[in-house]
Amino acid sequence: MAVDEGHRTVSVTINGIEIEVPQGELIVESVKRLGLEIPVFCYHPRMKPVGMCRMCLVEIGFKQPDGSVRMMPKPQAGCTLPASEGMVVLTDSESVHRDRKGVLEFLLVNHPLDCPVCDRGGECPLQNNTLAYGPSTSRFIDLKRHLPKAYPLSQYVMLDLERCIQCGRCVRFTEEISGEHELAFRFRGASMQPSTFQLLDFESKFSGNVIEICPVGALTSAQYRFRARPWDLQTTPAVCTACSNGCNVWFDHRAGRFVRINGRINEGVNEEWTCDKGKFGHDYYNSTDRLRTPLVRKGDQFVEATWAEAYEEIVKGLESAGKDVAGLCGTRIANEGLFLFNRLFKQVLGSRSVDHRWTRTLGTSRVQTPIAGIEGKKGVLVFGSNPAEDLPIVFLRLRKAATRNGTQVTVVTPDVTEADAFATVASRIGQGDVLKVAQEIVDGQSELARKVADCLKEDGAIVTSDRVRNLPGGGEALRLLEDLAARCGAEFNCYPTGPNAMGAELLGVLPGDGGLDTWGILQGCCSGTIKALWLLDCDPTTVEGGDQALESAEFLVYQGVTRSEATAFANVVLPMAAPAEQDGTWTNCERRLQRMTQAIAAPGDSKPAWRIFSEVILRLQPSTPFFNPREIMKAIADADPRFLPGASDLPEEGAILSATTQAAMAGDGA
Amino acid sequence: MSETVAIGTPRPRAPRPEELDLKFSESAVAELDALKTHYPDLKSCILPGLWIAQREYGGWLPPEAIAEVAFRLNRSFAEVEGVATFYTMYNTAHKPGRHMIEVCTCLSCHVCGAYRIVDYLEEKLGVKLGETTPDGMFTIHEVECLDACDRAPVLQIGDQYVGPVTSEMVDKILDDLRKVETPSAVQLSDAVVKVHLRDGDK
Repeated sequence: MAVDEGHRTVSVTINGIEIEVPQGELIVESVKRLGLEIPVFCYHPRMKPVGMCRMCLVEIGFKQPDGSVRMMPKPQAGCTLPASEGMVVLTDSESVHRDRKGVLEFLLVNHPLDCPVCDRGGECPLQNNTLAYGPSTSRFIDLKRHLPKAYPLSQYVMLDLERCIQCGRCVRFTEEISGEHELAFRFRGASMQPSTFQLLDFESKFSGNVIEICPVGALTSAQYRFRARPWDLQTTPAVCTACSNGCNVWFDHRAGRFVRINGRINEGVNEEWTCDKGKFGHDYYNSTDRLRTPLVRKGDQFVEATWAEAYEEIVKGLESAGKDVAGLCGTRIANEGLFLFNRLFKQVLGSRSVDHRWTRTLGTSRVQTPIAGIEGKKGVLVFGSNPAEDLPIVFLRLRKAATRNGTQVTVVTPDVTEADAFATVASRIGQGDVLKVAQEIVDGQSELARKVADCLKEDGAIVTSDRVRNLPGGGEALRLLEDLAARCGAEFNCYPTGPNAMGAELLGVLPGDGGLDTWGILQGCCSGTIKALWLLDCDPTTVEGGDQALESAEFLVYQGVTRSEATAFANVVLPMAAPAEQDGTWTNCERRLQRMTQAIAAPGDSKPAWRIFSEVILRLQPSTPFFNPREIMKAIADADPRFLPGASDLPEEGAILSATTQAAMAGDGA
Repeated sequence: MSETVAIGTPRPRAPRPEELDLKFSESAVAELDALKTHYPDLKSCILPGLWIAQREYGGWLPPEAIAEVAFRLNRSFAEVEGVATFYTMYNTAHKPGRHMIEVCTCLSCHVCGAYRIVDYLEEKLGVKLGETTPDGMFTIHEVECLDACDRAPVLQIGDQYVGPVTSEMVDKILDDLRKVETPSAVQLSDAVVKVHLRDGDK
């Protein structure tokens, strides 16, 4: 909103108040500078204006050389009108109000008044605008149009064609933002309907966003449908923990139960979008598989136990294993939990075998470009992994960069990706050829290599993810590309994909000197060198040799949010609070530290990871335990100055941590 | 479309490019390739592309035809479908009869007795406006102004205008049309494609 220096400004008079606004700014945005509002339906600040709904009609005039104002004879659409010198805008005149009333009356001719059973009721722009500007009665006595209701466009999105006011936001979203152009208007005039091709499956990986931007209840969420009324919901700002992008979301809950996820604005991360994985993939909160009480194995079966009994069992098991203990963790755990998990093994138990990585070859990530920074790159090489799948928000930035800023994108992946659509070059990697292709690119002889070099020659970046390490030769390929990036001055980004994988890495949840990594630990369990294994919200049965390892482990602790295959092997099972059921900080793939506050209570006896470790440590090593996550964050910052921003109040949008400890020290003037 | 589907059930998905059954003849592909060069953006080529498809698919645009045009022009299926369903001269709803008789019922034609012609056609063929005779020979339509008021009331059949028409003429027209093999929508589509190709070469 700030007036950019160097941009020409013009003086506009809005409702008699003269202000300076950047030339070309849309009137609908300019009036916000004065705290005024022009009601809109089709206009969305992140999409191109179309002027379809006519809700934003305002009176426009121009100052004449003699000082008089000449008004245009007809109202103009504020959403398509750029500000120019001497413009006079009236947003509150009698005629504007009459226009709004007329537009709303028209929209309501066919809009069904089923608000009492509409999911949007209570948070519906059409309702709100009608209340504020609309007619109180309708002159229409004719039948309304009847069209299909509750048509499932996909397993997530329901379409109600009667409610549609044909604003085109959903159509423009798929065209401009997500890019598949999967929705379009069929037919014309009053029968115009947004629809997928032949009403077939709406396959976009970002389909959930159209539910949020729909200004009426035409597009509703299949999951949230009829679950709650918006005014019954409590909402808490949260961070999405579906992947490493760390999107900002609103976590809506009702009577202590999770209900839905909506996008929350963070210009640095997700702008306001969410992906379907994040919007619809949080069913574990209400899962019937939730663990609720600690369980202790007695012979063949689990017996419900108190925490004290469970801890006693654990202490016994760990002490009998001596130093032959190891810990494996997933990445959907807040920094505080990971820090204490690491401390438990490395400092208290004296083991160096902990790991959070599950890729076939292991490595560390390297991230030089923040998510928003991708927009400004001149060329980007996407290598080995499909960003729309692994890094959805990075994908949206990449698409924005390519389509709006002309960034040259080269895609080199094993499978077809959504990024091919806007890539200048899309090349496929044959099965098992990752290393070969990377070598080819680095050697610089082939045509592909020349194209990549051209793409990266100036202000370039390589975007890839840790999933590449699952491919044979992937780890080596990433090393080659990292060298290439260093050589041609491009930024190299191997983004981790696990929700807090970056946090785990920064906190050093990695094997210490002489310690075993994930695969070493699993092997160690089989060969007997690891006697006790602690699984922190991870399921090794999904990887090769995992079953065997868990079977062989003498003592197994499973700590998790829900039951999994691995639970069956455990000696002790500990129920853990899910991310939004605890306070904690999370580090996303660009090292952005974001704080999440507790939204709902954890079910049953579940405890946050940090509390469980704090209590276990207390039982193994008498010391003052940590009582809350803030104390732990202070301890983290003491141990690692990179985390200093977390020790004080984090800004709402989070803070990007330095890549190296030295940089953090220098940055703080220490 | 009013089917009830359990929430969360996977929906049938659009065909993948490799699953498409492409029907364009070689000459049609050549025509489309020529037309592609006429526009700065392939989006602009959707309209002529649909005309070619309407000819190739026998006078109408089934979903497969729309998908083929989208595939050949690298546009999304939905976008092309949106264009096709917007314009009334593309037959997207169902396959018309071999001959489409379009009666202009706008002002001049109306005044000169267009509805008498409509009534006569309906009676003679035994179908209502918008319907096709059971033998699949004729479809009758009512259309807006054909820009031929001098010949009111006027009919459009393929790319030909006939008018001013009388009931007696209608009998003869129908008899003549029964002998014509080429469906009028195919003939019209072909004529439009030719115009597009010719104008592009100028």
